[in-house]
Amino acid sequence: MAFVQNFPFISIVLSLFSGPLSSVLGGKKAKWVNLAVITLIGAMSAAVLAFVLGTGEPYVYRMGHFPAPWGNEIRVGVLEAGMALFFCVVMLLCMLGGERERALELPEGKQNLYYVMVNLLLCSLLALIYTNDLFTAYVFVEINTISACGLIMIRQNGRTIEAATRYMIMSLLGSGLLLLGICFLYDLTGHLLMSNIKEQVGLLYAAGAYRVPLLVALGLMSVGLAIKSALFPFHAWLPDAYGYSTLSSAAILSSLVSKGYIFLLVKIFFRVVGFEVVRESGVLNILFVFGLAGMIMGSVSAIQEKNVRRMVAYSSVAQIGYIYMGFGLGSLSGVVASVFHVLTHAATKSLLFISASGLTDSSGDSKQIADLTGAGFRNRLAGLAFTVGSLSMVGIPAFSGFVSKLLFAQAAVEGSFVKMLPALLVLAVSTVLNALYFMKTVITLYTPARGERFSGRGFCRIGLWEQPAKTWAMLCLIVLNLILGLTSEPIIELIRDGLAMFE
Amino acid sequence: MKPGIMLIVVLLPILGGGLLPLLPFRSRRQLTVYTECVVLLNSLLTVAMLLYRPGEAFVLFRYTGNLSLSFRLDGLGSVFTAILALLWPLATLYAFEYMEGERHERIFFMFYTITFGVTLGIALAEDIVTMYCFYEMLTLVTLPLIMHTLTREAVLASRTYLYYALGGAAFAFMGMIFILTYGTTPNFVPGGVLDPARVGEKGDLLLLAYVMCFLGFSVKAAMWPFSAWLPKAGVAPTPVTALLHAVAVVKAGAFTLMRVTYYSFGTGFLRGTWAQTLLFVPVIFTIVYGCSRALKETHIKRRMAWSTVSNLSYILFGVVLMTPLGLVGALSHMIFHAVMKICSFFCAGAVIHQTGREYIYQLDGFGRKMPKVFLCFTVSALALMGVPGLCGFVSKWNLAKAAFEQGSPLALGGAAALLVSALLTAIYMLTIVIRAFFPGRDFDYGTLKGIRDPGWRMLLPLTLFVVAMFIFGLFSGPVVEALEAIAAPMP
Amino acid sequence: MKNAWILLPVLVPAVTGAALAAASFREHLAGGNTGPGDQKGFVPENTRGLHALVGTVLALSALVAVGGAWLWGGSLTLFPLVDGIPLYFQIDDVGRLFVTVVSLVWLAAAVYAFSYMEKEGDQKRFFGFYLLVYAILVGQEFAGNLLTMYLFYELMTLASVPLVLHSGTREAVMAALKYLFYSLCGAYLGLFGIYTLSRFCDTLAFQPGGSLNPVLAQGNRGLLLAAMFATVLGFGAKAGMLPLHGWLPTAHPQAPSPASAVLSGVIVKSGVLAILRAVYYVAGPDLIRGSWVQEAWMILALATVFMGSLLAFREPVLKKRLAYSTVSQVSYILFGLALLAPTAMEGALLHVVFHAVVKCALFLSAGVLLSKWGITRVEELAGLGKKQPLLVWSYTLASLALIGIPPASGFVSKWYLAQGALESQTGVFRYLGPAVLLVSAFLTAGYLLPVTVKAFFPGESRIPERFGERVDMRMLAPLAVLALLAVLMGLFPGPVLELTGRIAALAAGR
Repeated sequence: MAFVQNFPFISIVLSLFSGPLSSVLGGKKAKWVNLAVITLIGAMSAAVLAFVLGTGEPYVYRMGHFPAPWGNEIRVGVLEAGMALFFCVVMLLCMLGGERERALELPEGKQNLYYVMVNLLLCSLLALIYTNDLFTAYVFVEINTISACGLIMIRQNGRTIEAATRYMIMSLLGSGLLLLGICFLYDLTGHLLMSNIKEQVGLLYAAGAYRVPLLVALGLMSVGLAIKSALFPFHAWLPDAYGYSTLSSAAILSSLVSKGYIFLLVKIFFRVVGFEVVRESGVLNILFVFGLAGMIMGSVSAIQEKNVRRMVAYSSVAQIGYIYMGFGLGSLSGVVASVFHVLTHAATKSLLFISASGLTDSSGDSKQIADLTGAGFRNRLAGLAFTVGSLSMVGIPAFSGFVSKLLFAQAAVEGSFVKMLPALLVLAVSTVLNALYFMKTVITLYTPARGERFSGRGFCRIGLWEQPAKTWAMLCLIVLNLILGLTSEPIIELIRDGLAMFE
Repeated sequence: MKPGIMLIVVLLPILGGGLLPLLPFRSRRQLTVYTECVVLLNSLLTVAMLLYRPGEAFVLFRYTGNLSLSFRLDGLGSVFTAILALLWPLATLYAFEYMEGERHERIFFMFYTITFGVTLGIALAEDIVTMYCFYEMLTLVTLPLIMHTLTREAVLASRTYLYYALGGAAFAFMGMIFILTYGTTPNFVPGGVLDPARVGEKGDLLLLAYVMCFLGFSVKAAMWPFSAWLPKAGVAPTPVTALLHAVAVVKAGAFTLMRVTYYSFGTGFLRGTWAQTLLFVPVIFTIVYGCSRALKETHIKRRMAWSTVSNLSYILFGVVLMTPLGLVGALSHMIFHAVMKICSFFCAGAVIHQTGREYIYQLDGFGRKMPKVFLCFTVSALALMGVPGLCGFVSKWNLAKAAFEQGSPLALGGAAALLVSALLTAIYMLTIVIRAFFPGRDFDYGTLKGIRDPGWRMLLPLTLFVVAMFIFGLFSGPVVEALEAIAAPMP
Repeated sequence: MKNAWILLPVLVPAVTGAALAAASFREHLAGGNTGPGDQKGFVPENTRGLHALVGTVLALSALVAVGGAWLWGGSLTLFPLVDGIPLYFQIDDVGRLFVTVVSLVWLAAAVYAFSYMEKEGDQKRFFGFYLLVYAILVGQEFAGNLLTMYLFYELMTLASVPLVLHSGTREAVMAALKYLFYSLCGAYLGLFGIYTLSRFCDTLAFQPGGSLNPVLAQGNRGLLLAAMFATVLGFGAKAGMLPLHGWLPTAHPQAPSPASAVLSGVIVKSGVLAILRAVYYVAGPDLIRGSWVQEAWMILALATVFMGSLLAFREPVLKKRLAYSTVSQVSYILFGLALLAPTAMEGALLHVVFHAVVKCALFLSAGVLLSKWGITRVEELAGLGKKQPLLVWSYTLASLALIGIPPASGFVSKWYLAQGALESQTGVFRYLGPAVLLVSAFLTAGYLLPVTVKAFFPGESRIPERFGERVDMRMLAPLAVLALLAVLMGLFPGPVLELTGRIAALAAGR
C-alpha cells in the first residue's frame, strides 16, 4: 500500500483536529492555520488524484484494518479525489475573497470560532466525499449542518438568526428523512457499508421482493437530501441565509455545502442502490419535475429581487434545479452533466458573490441593484468578474456555463421524448430568464452614475490592489471558469471515469 | 495558402482592437491612423485569403468529443467574408469623421474593430458550434456600441437588444444540440448532415428543432415578432447602425439561417414539410410589416431600420424557399442590400452629423444644401425600390424567380409581398427625396444657412457605394454566376 | 455592333437632358445659398440658345428615330441585365407606329413649350426632363423584350415626375407624389406579371402571338391568369384604368400645359403599349381569351370609359375636364385590346394615334387659355371665338375628332372598335361595348362642345378686351397643325390603317 493512499484519511483527520486547535488560537493565527490546512489538503487531494489516475482503479481504505461489517471504510476513486481537490480550491478562494468582510463583520472575539466552523465544514465535506459507510455519511451530514448554521449565525443580526433557525429546521427535516431512509435500508439489507448494501439490494431487486420499502427508502433519502440542498420548493431558507451572512459563508454555503449533499446523493444512486434500480423506481421523475420547476421559479424570483446578494442567491435555486433536472433525465450523460454543473456552479457562484461584494464596496455598501449603477467603472475588476460570472450563468461560449448547458441539452436529446421536450424548452426559457436578470445587472453596472444619489460617501473608486486577497480570489475564479469552459474535455472524461469507478 | 491565415484574420482585429485603449496615442490622428491600418490590413489579408483559398480546415482547439472550434473557407462563407472585408474599411473611414468630438472614442473604436474579427469568425466557422460561439460573442461585443452614448434611451435599447439576442440564441442552441446528436458531423456540408438512420421516426421532432433554431437565429435577422430591438438600437452612433445593423450583425443572423437550413438540417429533409410552411408565414409577414412600420416612422434612422427589417426578410424568404435558386436569391440580396442600406444609412448619418436633425419633416430643402449626399440617397432609394438597372432589382428578380420555380401558393404570396414591399419602399424613401429636392415654392432657404456637404471621408464611401450599385445592377452576371456555383451542390 | 444607331435617339436626348437638368440644379445651388426668392428664370439671351439646342436635339433625334425605324429597322442586343436576359432592342411595326406618334406630338408640344415656358421659369429643368422623357419613351418603344420595356417604363415614371411638379407648389408636389405612387403600384403589379411570364414563357422577347410554353403552363393556368390580370391592372394604372386611375385627374392638370399635353397624349399610351406587349407579344392572346380575366378587363375598361366621361361632364375646370376625358378615352383603347380580336385591336391602335394627336391639341389650347388669360373654367371664355378664331376652331376640330363625328379621325377608330366588339365572341359585351361607347360619345360631345358654343355664342355677356391680344404663333401653329392632322387622318386613314391592320393580323389573328 502506497503512502499516498493514506492521504484521504489524513486529510479528514487533519481538518477535524485543526478545528479544536483553532479554538485556542487567536483570530489571526487561526486564519493562517485554516489557510494552511486547506492548502495542504488540496495538495494531498491532488496527489491522491494523480495516484488514482495512475492506477486507473479505485481503492478501499480500511480504518484500522478491521474488515466489514465492523470496520469503517474509505473508498477513493477518480471522482472523489477530483471533487476533494476542487472543493479545496474553491474553499480557499472563498476564504481569501471574504477576508476583509470577516475582519469587519465578525465580532472581535469570535474570529477564531469562525475558523473552527470552516475546518469542521471542510472535514465533513471530505468525509461525505470519501466515506464508504452510509451511517458515517449521516453523521457527517449532521456535522455539516451544524457548522453551516454556525457560519450563517456568526455574523449576528436579526436576519441571520432567523435565517439560521430556518436553515436548521429545514436541514434537520432533511437529515431526519435521510436517517429514516438509511434505517429502512439497514432493515432491508442488514448492512451499512455501501458496497454491501448494493449487493443485497441487487439481490432483493432481482428477486422482486420488498419493492415498496425499497422505493420508500430511496424516496426518503432523495427527498431528504433535496431539502438540504435547497431544491425548489424547499428553498425558502436559502435567500436569507446567503443574502445576509458574511461573504465567505455565503460563497461557501452556496458553492460547496449544497454540493456536498448532491455528491452524496450521486453516491447513493450509484454506490448504494444502483442506478438501474433508481431509474426504474420513478423517484427520478419527481426530481425531474421539481428540477424544472426550480429552474423557472428560481429565476423568476431572482428577476423580482432588488438586492444583488439575494438575487444571486435566488439564482442558486435555479442552478440547483438544473442539477436535479440532469439527474431526472435518468441517463448516465444526464448525471455527468449534473456533476459538471456542480463544478460550474461552485466556481461561478462564488465568483459572483465575491465580485458582488466588490461592487457593493464601491457603492457605499448598499446592496440595492439600483445603487450599483456605474459600479463597473468604480471597481473595474469586480465589474469584469461579475460580468464573467453572469455570462457563464447565461451560458455564453468560452465560459463554464456553456459547457454545462451543452451537456444538459445533449443528455436531454438522447433521452426519451417525454422528458426531452420539457427539458429543452425549460432550458431555453431559463437561459432567457437568466439573461434577463444577470445581464440587466451587468448593464446597470456599466451605466454611468449620474445624480445626487451617487455622490454620497462610499461611492468611490476601488483600485486593483486595494484588497489584494479579493483581487487574487476573483482572478483565480475567473481563470477557473475559463479552464472549465475551454478545456472541459479532460474534466468530463474524469467525471465519466469516476462514475464508471462507482460501479 | 496556409489555413492559419483564417485564424489571423479573425484574431488580428480582435487583438488590434483590444490593444487600442492601452496604446499611448498622442493625438486623435494617431488613433484613426492606427485603427484604419488594422482594419485595412485585415481586409487586405482577407481579400488575399479569398483569392488564394486555403483548402483545409484550421482547428483552433477541441471542446469535447467531436466539438471543436475550427475554421474553413467555403463558398457561402466567402460571400459574407467578402462583404465584410470590403465594407469595413469604408465604414471605419466614415466613422472617423462621424465620431469626431464624441466621447469615449477609444472604447468605440476598440469594439468596432473587435466586431470585425468576430463577424469574420461567423463567416469562417467550419461547424455549427464555432458559429454559435462567435454568434454569442457578436452579441456581447456589439452591446457596448449600442450603449455608447450612455443615455437612458441607449441603455434601455441595449437591454432590449441583449434580451432578444440572448433569448434567440437560447433557442438556436436547441437546434444545434439536435444537429450534434442526429447529424453525422457538426461541420457544414452542402445538403445537410442529418443521419437518416438516426433520424428514423423522429422526423417531426427534428422539424420542431429546426423551427426553434430558425426562430432563434432569426432574432438577429430581426424577423417579426423579434424585430423590435433593431429600430430601438438606432440610438447607437450611425456608423454602428449602418454597418452593424444593416450589414454585419443582421446579416450574420441571415447567414446563420442559411447555414442551418442549407448546410446542417439540409433542404432535402426540410422541403415541403410543415416546418417550411410554418416559417413562410412570419417571413412573408415581416416583409410587409417592416415596410409599413417604416412608413409610419418619422425618425430617419428608425425608418431605415424598419426598412432593414423588411429587407432582411427578403433574404429569409430566399432561405425558406429551400431551393438552390432560393439560396442564390438570398445571397444576392444579402450582398446588394448591404451596399444599398449602408449607403442610405450613411446619408442619414451625414445629415445628423452635419445638422443634428433627425426627423424627416426637418429635411425640407436639403437637396440643395447637401446635394452630393442626397444624390447618393436618391440612388440608394431607387435601388431599394428595385428600379431596373440598379442592384436591388437583380436580387428581387432572383428571389421572385426562385419563388416561381418553387411554385407553392405561399411562395407566390411571398413574391407578391416583395412587390407590395417595393411599393411601400418607394413611398417611404421617395417622400424623403421629394421633400429634400422639392420643398415647395415658398420654402425659405434661409433657415438652412450654413448647412453643407460633409468632408471627403464621408463622401468617398458614399460615392463608392453608388458606383457599386450601378455596377451590380447593370453587370450582375458574374456575381450571380458565382452565387449559382455556390448553390450548385445543393440537392 | 450592328444597328448601333438605335442607341442614338435614346442616348443623345438623354445625355442632353441630363446635362440640362444638372445645369439647372447647379444654378439653384449657387442661388440657393444667397437666400430665398432667387429662383430666377433665365437671362433672355440664354433662352434662345437653350431653345435652339433643345429644338435641334429633339428634331435630330426624332428624325433618326422615325427615319431609322421605318428605313432601317433591325435589332440590337446589349449586355445581359439580369438572369441572362439582355438589354435588347428590336424594331417592329408597333414600335414604328408608337415612335412616330410620340415624335410627332413631342415636337409639336416642344415648339409650343418654347413660348409657353417663358412664363413658367426654370426652363432648363423643364426641357432637361422633357428631353429625358422623350429618350426614355423611344427606348420603351424600341424595346425588344419585356424586361427592357419594363426598365424604360419605370425610368419614364421617375423622369416624368419633375414635369408634373414643375411649378413647385405644394399641390403640385402632392400631385406628383400621387402620380408616382400610383404608377409604381401599377409597375409592381406589372412586375409580378413579368416574373410569372419569365417562368412560363420560352422567352421574354416580343413575338407576335406570344411564346407561352404549353408544357410549363399546364396546370398553372390559374396562376397565369392571375398574373395577367395583375399585369393589365398594373400597367393600366398608367393608362388611367379603374381602379388605379385616381392619379390622373390630379396630376395632369397640375403640370404645365405642354407637359400635360404629352402626359395625356403620349405618356398614358406607354401603359397601353406595356399591356399590348405583355398580352399580345409575350403571353399571347389565347391565354386569356374567354377567361375571367378578359371579362374583368372588359368590365373595368367599359366602366372607366363611362365613368371618365361622366366625371368630365360634371367638371367645370377645363384642364381637369380634359384629364377625365383622357381617363375615358384611353379606356376605349384598352377595351379594344381586351376584345382580343383583330378588328378591335386595329381600332384600339387607331385610337392610340388619334387620341394622342387630339388630346395633345386640346391640352395645348387649354394651355393657351390658361397662360394668356388665366382662364381655367369653361364659363370664363365666353366670346373668345370672335377674337381668336384660329384657336377656337382648332379646339373645335380636335373636339369633333374626339367625339367621333365623321369624317374626323375619331370616327374611324370608334367604328373599328364597335365593329370589333360586334364581331367578337364575348357574349353580352358584343352589345354592351358599343352601347357604352355610344353613350360615352354623347357625353364627350356634352363636355367638349360647350366650350365651342360658349366661345362663339357668348350671349349676353360682355367680351373682355384682352381677348384681342395677339397669341404667339409658336403656340398657335402646333395647335393648328395637330387639329388639322386630326381631321386629315380621318379623311385619309389609309396609311395608318394599313399599318394597324398588319399589326393586328399578326398579333391577334388566330
